[in-house]
Amino acid sequence: MENKPPLSPHIQIYKWHISSLVSISHRITGIINIIAITFICLLVSSLFFGKNNYEYIYLFLSSLIGKFIILGLTWSFSFQALSEIRHLIMDFGYGFELKATKITGLIVIFGSVILTVIFYIIGKNFYQ
Amino acid sequence: MVQINLPENSKIKKGKYFKDLTGSKNLRKINVYRWDPSSGENPRIDTYEVDMDNCPSKVLDILNKIKNEIDPTLAYRRSCAHGVCGSCAMNIGGKNGLACTTPHAEIDGDIDIYPLPHLKVKKDLIGDLDGLYKQYQSIEPWLKSNSKSETKEIIQSKEDRAKLDGAYECIMCACCSTSCPSYWWNGDKYLGPAVLLQAYRWIIDSRDEERQIRLKKVADELKLYRCHTILNCTSACPKGLNPAKAIAEIKKMIATANI
Repeated sequence: MENKPPLSPHIQIYKWHISSLVSISHRITGIINIIAITFICLLVSSLFFGKNNYEYIYLFLSSLIGKFIILGLTWSFSFQALSEIRHLIMDFGYGFELKATKITGLIVIFGSVILTVIFYIIGKNFYQ
Repeated sequence: MVQINLPENSKIKKGKYFKDLTGSKNLRKINVYRWDPSSGENPRIDTYEVDMDNCPSKVLDILNKIKNEIDPTLAYRRSCAHGVCGSCAMNIGGKNGLACTTPHAEIDGDIDIYPLPHLKVKKDLIGDLDGLYKQYQSIEPWLKSNSKSETKEIIQSKEDRAKLDGAYECIMCACCSTSCPSYWWNGDKYLGPAVLLQAYRWIIDSRDEERQIRLKKVADELKLYRCHTILNCTSACPKGLNPAKAIAEIKKMIATANI
C-alpha cells in the first residue's frame, strides 16, 4: 500500500488574474522575440549572398503565413516593450497596489494591441 | 523546476456525492479535496450538498456544517475563526484565503475547496508547512541588538515605528507563499513572499543592528530574485498586506547598499 503524501494541486486550480497573465505572457513573448531576432538576423545576413534571397524572403513574407507572422511579431514586440516599462516602474518600487497593478496590466494588454494596429497602419501606408 | 502536471499519486479522482438530507430548497454544492493517508488511494473530490438557509456567512461555517452534520471524517485546520491565527488558510474558488474571513456569497456557483497549493498533503485540507517554517527560522526573526543593554528600553521614533506598518501584521498563514508560482517551482531555494516580508520587517526595524548581514543573507540569487512580480501574493493576502512591494524594497536596498 502506497502512502506517500500527494502534492496538492497548484497551477491546475489557481485562478488567473491580470498580473499573473501579463507576467507569463512577458516570458513567452520574450522567448518568441529572441527566436525572432535571431531569425531576422539570419534573413538579413542571407542578403549578402545575392538578391535572389531577397525575393525569396519577400515572397514568404507576402504570403498569408508570412503576414500572420509579421503581425504576431509586431504584437509580441509591442507587448514586451510595454510590459518591460511596467517592470521598470515596479523596479523603482511603484505601482504595487492591487488597483495599480490591474490598471498597468490592462494598459499593457490593450496598449500592445493598439500599438500593433498603429504599426500595421504605418507599415501599410508609408512603406509600400 | 517547473512541473506542470501532478505526480501520479496526486492525480485527483472523483469522490463520493453526499446528497442533501434536510429537504432544503436553498442548496449549494461544495467540492472538497479529500485524501486519507490510511487508505493508500489517490486524492478525490467529494461533493456535498449544503443547506444554505441554516448556514452563517463564511466558508469556514460551511466546513463546520459539513463536519458537524454531514461527514465527520473531514479534516481541516481552524482555530480563532476571526482571521487572526491563520490556521484555516486554504484554496477557495481558485484563490488562497482564510476560510473564516471569506464570505461564501462572494463566490459564484459551486464552491471548490482545496488545500494550499503545491504542498505535501497530510490529510484532506491540511498541507505540510514545515519547509516554510524552516525558511522563516533561517531569517532569524528576532531583534538583534548586541550593543544595547538588555535591561533598558530601546527607544524608537514614531517615524521609524511607522515603517513596520504593513509588515508586522502578517499572521504567517502561508496564503501568499503557496499562491506564488515561483515558490511552487523553487520552494526549496526561494524564500517566498511570506518569509521575505518578514525578512523585510527585521531589515527595516530601526532597533536592529544587523541590517547589513540580513541584507547580505537574502541577496543570494535564488533566495530573493525569484520574485517576478506575478503578484499572486498581494492579491491573496487575507490581511491586505503587500509582500511583493516589500520584496521590491529589499531589492532596492540591496541595489543601493553597496554590499
